[in-house]
Amino acid sequence: MSLVGKPLALQINGQQINVDNVPEDVCMADFLHEYVNLTGTRVTCGQGICHACVVILDHPDGKNETIRTCITGAHLFAGKRIRTIEGHAVGDPNSVEMKLTQVQEAFLKNYSFQCSYCTPGFVNESIVLLEQLKRQPIARKDVEQVIIDALDSHLCRCTGYVRYYEALRQLIVSTPGLIKE
Amino acid sequence: MLHVWKGKYFALWLVVGLILQGCHGNVPDNAGSVVSTPADAASIARGEYLANAADCISCHSVPGKGAFSGGYAIDTPYGPIYGPNITPDKETGIGHYTRDDLYRVLHDGRRPDGSPLYPAMPYTSYQGMSRADSDAIYDYLMSRPAIRHANIPSGMHFPYNIRSVMFVWQWLFMPSADETLPDGSSAEWRRGAYLANALAHCTECHTPRTMTGALDTAARFKGAMIGRYEAPDITPAALAQRGWTERDLASLLATGIAPQGSAYADMFPAVHNSTRYLTREDTASLVRYLGGPAGLPAPTHITPVNIPQVALQRGWHSYASLCASCHGAQGEGRPHVAPALQGNASLRLTSPNNLLVAMLDGVEAQHISTLENMQAMPGMPNFVSDQEVADLANVLRTQWGGVPSQVSAATVRKLR
Repeated sequence: MSLVGKPLALQINGQQINVDNVPEDVCMADFLHEYVNLTGTRVTCGQGICHACVVILDHPDGKNETIRTCITGAHLFAGKRIRTIEGHAVGDPNSVEMKLTQVQEAFLKNYSFQCSYCTPGFVNESIVLLEQLKRQPIARKDVEQVIIDALDSHLCRCTGYVRYYEALRQLIVSTPGLIKE
Repeated sequence: MLHVWKGKYFALWLVVGLILQGCHGNVPDNAGSVVSTPADAASIARGEYLANAADCISCHSVPGKGAFSGGYAIDTPYGPIYGPNITPDKETGIGHYTRDDLYRVLHDGRRPDGSPLYPAMPYTSYQGMSRADSDAIYDYLMSRPAIRHANIPSGMHFPYNIRSVMFVWQWLFMPSADETLPDGSSAEWRRGAYLANALAHCTECHTPRTMTGALDTAARFKGAMIGRYEAPDITPAALAQRGWTERDLASLLATGIAPQGSAYADMFPAVHNSTRYLTREDTASLVRYLGGPAGLPAPTHITPVNIPQVALQRGWHSYASLCASCHGAQGEGRPHVAPALQGNASLRLTSPNNLLVAMLDGVEAQHISTLENMQAMPGMPNFVSDQEVADLANVLRTQWGGVPSQVSAATVRKLR
């Protein structure tokens, strides 16, 4: 097997990124860290189990999904649009004026994390869930199970999941348009 | 182990069965058999070993509900059927069974009331089981805690839900015990035959079935489709062609892992619940039998097959992006994470089906023992094109499997 470098172009957090020479065997997490200096994506297990490293892949049809970047090659994202943890809050990250997303606010309010290593993955997964519920609202009785299904694959070793779960539950039931009457 | 009874031409003999429906009342009622004698500890212990070897637990248990308490769903083309409660509970289990009753179930496929069982229960293989082994299994099952767990009625569609049709099926298609226990040249070989064909019933998944859903004993161990996966051909020549040695086969059966890969799909529970409990001697006998009277032929060496350079590059590109993180840049695998792909037996199968299904569906985590796991393999992301999957399969099979491979995008699309 001989692998060579080649150009990689994609859209990250709304910005077009073009890199001239990226080895074919570089995983997406390393590409984000080493080539575009987006270090918020966390690599924990490095083998696709913990889901801390997921980013959001936005499809042309408006749907999206999370993808594990530690086990997925960077070139697989060529020509695609992704969002990373750095792309959600609005404003200068060094300013108190920076506006967090509802998900991030909910996690802070509920003390959902301690070490925070898993948090980018939980944030991205939760945003995908909220956007899915905006497109397809669900019955109130299904909320808890939908949250469990969405977050089930994410590992956290600090807070025992309950605080992430509760934050997201509160957010979903209090946000108009996510639940069918 | 999951048994699949998936004959496509059930209707052929079903018609006969419906005509003979009136015969039900004339079928001998086998209820009222002799009273069982108490079991001793040795028989119970032996029965536990045999029940493990027979893999009773896989089809008669649901995780979290209690061992042998039933409820496991087996999908058949004719509707779902559920493994019944075989704990000693007198109302929902087999607490009212005698030893004779259990032997009749295993040997004849008949309940105590004489009604026939569907062949999802592998009695066509168990009929080769000795009476002594049946009795020991009985003693073990009766020593287990009685769990009250109501059986789930089968969901067989009409007209397959007419159970008496199975009288005809048994009459027409149940092989004789003689056929299921071919003679061998040594005691070890005969023991292996007994394990493969009766007790551990390897034949149920690895032997193709005829139009009627009966085992095609003329093609014993030539492989068969079980759901989306192919239970591979395990005849001696095929095993050798895929690189298996007796030692490696024994390793797979005993630990779930071998240089040729790890047990996955329906073979994983077969190893986890059954074959890993076999004694070293029984494993050796089973392997010796599968190797044939002359012994397993020498494994075939892998010689990469040439494919166009463009296809090669495309395939390796996909491998680097999708597989290398866990299976290693050179396909060497990662301990406790993912098996090696260099020389993996699944790559060397004549059909690419198993490789493609594993890639598309992913593979569940395999918790093999306290210290050994294989992690879950994610299924192929939807945004990876059919052609990319095909290129990947072709590179893996030709370069690391040494077999010709011409998987097309259309083949992948059909399996998505």
